[in-house]
Amino acid sequence: MSSEVFTAALVRRLRTSDSISDDDIEVIRALPVTLRSYEAERVIVRDGQRATECCLIVEGFCARSKTLSDGRRQILSIHIPGEIPDLMSLFLHVMDHDLSTLTPCRLCFIRHEVMQQLHRRRPNIAEIFWRHTLIDAAMFREWIVNVGQRPAPARLAHVMVELRERLRVIGRVEGNNFEMPLTQEEIGEALGITSVHANRVIRQLREDGIVELHRGRVTVLDEPRFLELADFDDRYLHQSPAL
Amino acid sequence: MPRFHFHIQENGRLIPDEEGQDFADGAAVRREAVATGASIARDAFMNGSACCVIVDVCEEDSPFLKVSITLDIEEPTRS
Repeated sequence: MSSEVFTAALVRRLRTSDSISDDDIEVIRALPVTLRSYEAERVIVRDGQRATECCLIVEGFCARSKTLSDGRRQILSIHIPGEIPDLMSLFLHVMDHDLSTLTPCRLCFIRHEVMQQLHRRRPNIAEIFWRHTLIDAAMFREWIVNVGQRPAPARLAHVMVELRERLRVIGRVEGNNFEMPLTQEEIGEALGITSVHANRVIRQLREDGIVELHRGRVTVLDEPRFLELADFDDRYLHQSPAL
Repeated sequence: MPRFHFHIQENGRLIPDEEGQDFADGAAVRREAVATGASIARDAFMNGSACCVIVDVCEEDSPFLKVSITLDIEEPTRS
């Protein structure tokens, strides 16, 4: 398989959400990378571990999380193809959280020295990765607001809408449905509620005819009510380079 | 391992849990029931949808434990 396939989702995202030249895209496609496959729910890089490479998601879903000393886990973010969720490890070498797979994944690893050379050689690409890191921080701000302030059904709806808008950029939304392959327990860990409460919220949203989550797929049943519940403003995702 | 079912009542309206879940031990069931009741009650009390939340846990078909959380506000009459 060619590196064009590895970087397809990233390139699609760069073309849609960032201003990138064809030259820079060719440079990204030519990067030396190592492809590895992971099973679902495996740690890619662990809290406390020294990272020597960054990981670009080719296929599958990943999550960043932190686990408390009593074993409870908070999911901090969900990641999709075309994203490099541990980009920060290029400068912050020792991980301060876990990065793991949610589903079976194909991941493309880029050595830190390769990324450093890329940054020096191609300042425009360095600026784009800067921008991605800042958007990442904006998403964390939104996640804090969500978990801290919204009631549980709105919290779930917000995470769903955000995921959909990010999947849309890489062409992964089909009509009124999209993938969200989290277990009930993982949804609880993302929203800061128990798995039993997560189950109840999922049921309630379905019974209210707003949205259905079934076997890792979300189907929106009533778009206006779904958006109203989520209280979603996409500004923080900065998906257009023109803004 | 028996399965535990968490039936939830808000102001008497029952939402049964047919599926159930496995837990390592009774202490884990208790923690899940208390945390679930507290977070459902938080939402229900804040938006005014209910003032009483009950998490009724059954081990298969027999009662295992019941957590009741009630909102009780007392306001002295002001003249």
